[in-house]
Amino acid sequence: MTEQEIYDRLTPLFQDVLDNDDVVPTPELTARDVDEWDSLSHIRLVVAVEQDFGVSFAAAEIARLENVGQFVALIRSKLGA
Amino acid sequence: MTGGADSPAWTDLAEGHEVSETFTIDDAAMAAFADLSGDRNPLHTDAAFARSRGFPDRVVYGGLILARVSRLLGMRLPGRDGLWAGVKMSFRQPLHPGEEAVLTGRVRHRSDAARLLTITLEVRCGDRLIASGSAESAWRGDA
Repeated sequence: MTEQEIYDRLTPLFQDVLDNDDVVPTPELTARDVDEWDSLSHIRLVVAVEQDFGVSFAAAEIARLENVGQFVALIRSKLGA
Repeated sequence: MTGGADSPAWTDLAEGHEVSETFTIDDAAMAAFADLSGDRNPLHTDAAFARSRGFPDRVVYGGLILARVSRLLGMRLPGRDGLWAGVKMSFRQPLHPGEEAVLTGRVRHRSDAARLLTITLEVRCGDRLIASGSAESAWRGDA
């Protein structure tokens, strides 16, 4: 799966979890940029990605993420892509 | 102190882990919920009116079915260490006072990273699917 394909798949997940149709995940995007991205939404995003992509994360992997770009890199590493 | 609530370990809550409870909503519960919520829609309070709208009897409040979900999550799945974080529920067929129903919750996804359980919910009365959906429970216990 290419990086772009991951972003394309993330877009509806982000919009659904954050209840915001204007959110488009980009590499630089962080929780500070989106009002609806609170701590519970953050948890839901992680779970939505695990379920949609069929991957599992460790708490430490999630804790060190600083932006969406790093999240996408983590997803790619889990997919072996 | 658990208040009678179960307190399983996180690792016990494997995907597929299932808990069921049988319940019946009686007239007292219907009256109490009408007082509590202020919802006195006659579909819930007046059998003759409900029959005039094509139902065999009064329709149990969806809120009372959700109250049973609250009990399931708060007391058993996962019990003491879970905080109810969300629910999606569709009410598919009416349940009527006095009917015996079974609520089943099953762990669909356990995220170790997010410490969140996604639980599939189903309410059945005999062959009828009364309600189905899912709930989220955020883990607040030990890892």
